[in-house]
Amino acid sequence: MNNIITVKNFTKTYGTFKAVDNVSFEVESGSIFAFLGPNGAGKSTTINTLCTILDKTSGTLMIDGKEIGQNKDYIRSVIGVVFQEQTLDVKMTVEENLKMHCHFYRVAKSVINERIDFVLHLVDLTKWKKAMVNSLSGGMKRRVEIARSLLHLPKVLFLDEPTTGLDPQTRANIWDYIVKLQKEKGITIFLTTHYMDEAEISDKVAVMDYGKIIAFDHPAVLKKQYTRDKAMISSIVPEQLNDLLLQHDLTYAKENNRFIIEVNDLSKLTAIISEHQLSITDMEVRKGTLNDVFLEITGKNIRE
Amino acid sequence: MRIISALCMRNIRLFLRNRVQLVLILIMPFFYLYLLSTIFKSTDISDPTNYVLSGIIIIVVFQTSLNIAASTIDDMVSGYMKEVLVSPAKRIQIVIGQILSSTIIATFQGILIMIVGCFIGLRYGSIFTPLAVIVSMIFVGLVFSAFGLFLATSVKNSQTFQITSVAVTTPITFLCGVYVPLSLLPNGLQYIAFLNPMTYAASFFRALSLEKLSLPLNELISDQLAFKAGNLIITPQISFFVILLFGILFLILSTVTFTRVDFSKMNRTQMSKDIYNQ
Repeated sequence: MNNIITVKNFTKTYGTFKAVDNVSFEVESGSIFAFLGPNGAGKSTTINTLCTILDKTSGTLMIDGKEIGQNKDYIRSVIGVVFQEQTLDVKMTVEENLKMHCHFYRVAKSVINERIDFVLHLVDLTKWKKAMVNSLSGGMKRRVEIARSLLHLPKVLFLDEPTTGLDPQTRANIWDYIVKLQKEKGITIFLTTHYMDEAEISDKVAVMDYGKIIAFDHPAVLKKQYTRDKAMISSIVPEQLNDLLLQHDLTYAKENNRFIIEVNDLSKLTAIISEHQLSITDMEVRKGTLNDVFLEITGKNIRE
Repeated sequence: MRIISALCMRNIRLFLRNRVQLVLILIMPFFYLYLLSTIFKSTDISDPTNYVLSGIIIIVVFQTSLNIAASTIDDMVSGYMKEVLVSPAKRIQIVIGQILSSTIIATFQGILIMIVGCFIGLRYGSIFTPLAVIVSMIFVGLVFSAFGLFLATSVKNSQTFQITSVAVTTPITFLCGVYVPLSLLPNGLQYIAFLNPMTYAASFFRALSLEKLSLPLNELISDQLAFKAGNLIITPQISFFVILLFGILFLILSTVTFTRVDFSKMNRTQMSKDIYNQ
């Protein structure tokens, strides 16, 4: 597959502060790419530069084979953007917002109505077409923004923290729409988030901190590389469990009479569990997460 | 052209949607007319009602064009401008769209007051005068729309903008001879009035509206359509060129500022004042 986004040695400074420090990465066409990191890591600066809102300090940023600095108009015509903050015209209706977008992107007048119906159907908002934007809920506004960003059929859709401030159910719905879009339309999706679970859907994750990319790969590969699965077991005969673990060369920590065992592969625990099952009073198994990846690399949680 | 007309239509639609504002726009000038006619009767002005009404028309054009153009800051603060700026629309097209729409709305308001004014004694000797009046409303609208847009893009913080807006518009409104005759102002304030672009706009517009552009100098002065700034007598014709220069200056300034401003650094604290819901 070809790369639709190429970033080489990208640096962005504000005065003496380096918001993004010599970052390089590539995004495959038709994939979902996630930028993961805490607030202030440099994610939004990168996305804003790719969206032509900010100018780079140095480096090369290309979308669809075109350098961003010299081809702003072209780049703007092939990307769709959903910003972190709400950017709808709240004094107008959903349809009026979408029509304005079509005019800005010079969508042929003959297809505007058809295109609006199509994107509203995609995000299940057809019956809200005539509603004033300020009468919609936060989640619906976000869906209108996603619909709007698709009107000109972009090659890349940038989503900057698209679910910030939304309740868990709405967040899940938004991601359903995004995955549906990527699968049905083959659009490349470039998203930033500080929610671990949201990055799990992506084909590639770049973990960012203090303006640098500190890890870059498929979420499963990162988790395998940086994390271990964890089992927490309580037993009525702890001495017996202790002996069993030692027999299998497994080390553990104890916390409130619970054995906390970290393993690369949970199958190693299967024999112990089946042998000891009648004595187990409580058991919890947790797979490694992207937060663990971040914790492992930086020594801190991503929300800190 | 499509982007410019879309922006114009959007702003006009927002304006027309506010019915309460439309009614107030029609009522308020006549309240001022009633109030000010009494004040202006104490001067030597020959036709105080027409004199005051023409002043009110141009001050409404000024305030509306300034406010609507300055409402661009609402779009910046609400985040909507970010959507516009990330589109392939050129910034110069956005500048033109914003300035034209506020000019159209301001002229529309001026025409409305002019029409109602005709029912209460506003008369024109020539059928060409109303056309010339409308053209000069468009001209003044363009000038102060450019000024309003410059203000909005220069002040990046919405709170600062509110303070700046009041600090700029209050002296412009009250020190231009429309609400208080220049001859009644204290000497110090008269000098400030000479620095006020609206003084020149009001002077030219009134002379045109009252069909007195060709009056002799002494009559223009006694009717307060020309005024003395030191040794220089400012005729309505000179006023026209002053306001033209002011307009060109702010058209350039607003375009340059708008095309260069970094909207990602806007303070997004919501403004309590909504320009379309005053």
